[in-house]
Amino acid sequence: MVTSRTSVEKPVTAEELARLLHEAAEAGQAVLPVGGGRAAQMGDPPARDGVVMSTSGLDRVLEHSQADMVVSVEAGVTLEALQEQLGKSGQFLPLDPFNSPGHTIGGLLATGWTGPLRLRYGSPRDFLIGIRVALPDGRLASAGGRVVKNVSGYDLMKLHYGALGTLGVIVAASFKVFPKALHDVTVEATYESMDRAWAGADEGLAMPMAPAAVELFSSGRVLARFLGSLDATKRTVADLGWTEADGSAWVAHSKAAPSLWARIAAPPHALRSILDKLGADQEWWASPGTGIANWAIAGGAEDVRAIRALATAAGGSLVLMAGPDEFRHDAGAWGTPPATLHLMRRLRYAFDPSQVINPGRFVV
Amino acid sequence: MALDRAVIEELRRAVGREYVIDSSNDLRIFERDASIEGAVPDAVVLPATTAEVSSVIRVAARHRIPLVMRGAGTGLSGGAVTIRGGIALQVTRMRKILEIDPVAQTALVEPGVVNQELSLAAASHRLFYAPDPSSQKACTIGGNAAENSGGPHCLYYGVTTNHVLGMEVVLADGSVHWVSGDAPDRVGLDLCGVLVGSEGTLCAITKVKVRLLRTPPSIATLLAAFPTIETASQAVSAVIGHGIVPSALEMMDQVTVGAVEAHYHAGYPTDAGAVLLVEVDGIPESTSELMAAVRKVLAENQGYAMREAQSPTERDLLWAGRKGAIGALGRIKPNYYLHDGVVPRSRLPQILSAVGEIGVHYKLPVANVFHAGDGNLHPNILFDLRERDVLPQVESAGEEMLRAVVELGGALSGEHGIGLEKSAFMPWVFSADDLDAMRRVKGALDGQGIMNPGKIFPDPERKSLHLAGRTGLAVEAKWW
Repeated sequence: MVTSRTSVEKPVTAEELARLLHEAAEAGQAVLPVGGGRAAQMGDPPARDGVVMSTSGLDRVLEHSQADMVVSVEAGVTLEALQEQLGKSGQFLPLDPFNSPGHTIGGLLATGWTGPLRLRYGSPRDFLIGIRVALPDGRLASAGGRVVKNVSGYDLMKLHYGALGTLGVIVAASFKVFPKALHDVTVEATYESMDRAWAGADEGLAMPMAPAAVELFSSGRVLARFLGSLDATKRTVADLGWTEADGSAWVAHSKAAPSLWARIAAPPHALRSILDKLGADQEWWASPGTGIANWAIAGGAEDVRAIRALATAAGGSLVLMAGPDEFRHDAGAWGTPPATLHLMRRLRYAFDPSQVINPGRFVV
Repeated sequence: MALDRAVIEELRRAVGREYVIDSSNDLRIFERDASIEGAVPDAVVLPATTAEVSSVIRVAARHRIPLVMRGAGTGLSGGAVTIRGGIALQVTRMRKILEIDPVAQTALVEPGVVNQELSLAAASHRLFYAPDPSSQKACTIGGNAAENSGGPHCLYYGVTTNHVLGMEVVLADGSVHWVSGDAPDRVGLDLCGVLVGSEGTLCAITKVKVRLLRTPPSIATLLAAFPTIETASQAVSAVIGHGIVPSALEMMDQVTVGAVEAHYHAGYPTDAGAVLLVEVDGIPESTSELMAAVRKVLAENQGYAMREAQSPTERDLLWAGRKGAIGALGRIKPNYYLHDGVVPRSRLPQILSAVGEIGVHYKLPVANVFHAGDGNLHPNILFDLRERDVLPQVESAGEEMLRAVVELGGALSGEHGIGLEKSAFMPWVFSADDLDAMRRVKGALDGQGIMNPGKIFPDPERKSLHLAGRTGLAVEAKWW
């Protein structure tokens, strides 16, 4: 296991990135793409050292069409810079990942990191409408477009999303963006027992006005967010009867980043039975509506494997988001590969036959 | 080219004697989908199970026979047309709703289940399936997943791919796989995501797990008239520009309204240059506030004769007019041809005037009925196939309309698929390298190229329709 890096490249155009990627591939070097470095410990430690390919020089918002509610950006733009630009016209990208601030758009697409707003808006998988990637053979390939609805050609956005760059280094992307809600209300409740806290979260989720986010914490706290018209949010808050909280609670929550951390994903109805097995001393937070939980691991690799077995048995997964190389090596970042691994490998081979990009880091 | 008798026998062994059709008269029934081109398959096979689908595909793979999936045949881009002959694999015997889970809000269905049947079955749990193509009374969930179909309510709720949780698929070698499932954030590449919308060129779909949504407690539907199609287009941009995303925002022009009104008597204003059908949903407090905001914006943009549905019956009638619009156009001419290009919403006024000019130039009536909120056009070119030499004119007019869409930064198709009819136009929006990346996916999953050949990708073996003499059409794909 070698994790030392040999050099850092910081291209300022997509063409330059593609050329550097191709040169590294020709020279038999690995390429380790990095955006904001917020997910640097996701996945298994790379199998070979290589060129660190920073996208931070690709930092332009290429086009924001306010009337069309579409934005195109280079991969190295930070989420905060993009939100600031969109905010000027009352719009936003509904993405609030943990370990913020500092994520780049390319990094968020490659890793598939999301946050609480996923309950209402889905993940970038749902609002990514175009992508451009650099391939190890030096080509730049685009898919999708700049319109909100498009079935022209294969949906390669889906393949690149969450692939950790293994099918190509993302250099630019286009998104459908959303209008900021007229009213944005946050409420919270804290419960004595976890039984009641889960019931509280269910109550929030069942409101006739669907919440934009419902987060449940191992402390028994539930935080919910409602977006919509004044009268509708007013009535919902009154009906639910929780305490109004400051919206900054979400900013604070998005900074959550345990140094040893796993994401547990399961069918929503199965999430609780897994988290119940964590033990009362463990800290975690969860989005019961989406089936995703984040666990600040206080334990060893064997604890991770035990919980992973439960998640896998429920049809879900446990992925390490951060932790020392040694720990990720012991516990395994991904767990048992999916049954379709051989198909995924064929795709990987079609785009990166020599395993140039992030070798050994992804499950494929 | 008829299939070898031995192959027909193999197919019969796979699915049962009576479920293989190979007599030339019967085969003609399967010549067409809802697009304008047709080709007769060499055999039609009707499997009842995944295992039978797998067996049929193994036969096709062994003999390198083209294999084309077929649902209800309502596709508009030639996806189900057997342009290279071979086997049409018809899934309409596989039409069971296997499970509706009201707690998880999911359904597991066979591919031949009709879209509307699923929503009707889910209704008793106060759930619905969101993607609602206008053909939803006939089209199948398998076909919807293969084409990544849309519909009026996709403006707010998203298209098919946003609602498919997982699929059972059969690949070109006959192997059966589950891709994705109930849990989010699955480990590995998102195979399900790339297979949805792959138009039968990568796999056969044998089961689909979909997300169901809670039926909104309150729905408000408004019909508004506008003096011209341009003013209606500006109103669409204004609504969205005010940060209002209705669940549906549909436009119909005067030609369409006339035909619809004559057929449905839904009370559409026939004097209007265009009408908008706007729907919002949610809890009553939010629908009333949103609808008030919509009315205000429409009025500011010359909207008049606004009429809100006062009962579910009245709402259904307004929607019957919209969803049955294309059928009603038969009152004007017996045949229609439509593309479904998408433009950035703000370009609607330009594209609609370009579409109008193209119709005038070719002396062909054009009826616009479309998903205005998405910028997703449906210009129906109306004609009578019995008129000599009209078809090349119709195709040329359609092609020019798509050219105009692409020149405005748009896409070739929003929901109907590329299929047969638009494959030659793919280089207008995608570079050789872009197409090469897509071909890598095809090569990785269907190396022999037996799955729906001749679709999506430009096909050098096929005579292009009317591209002769039109050089320089390919645009560099620097679409940003």
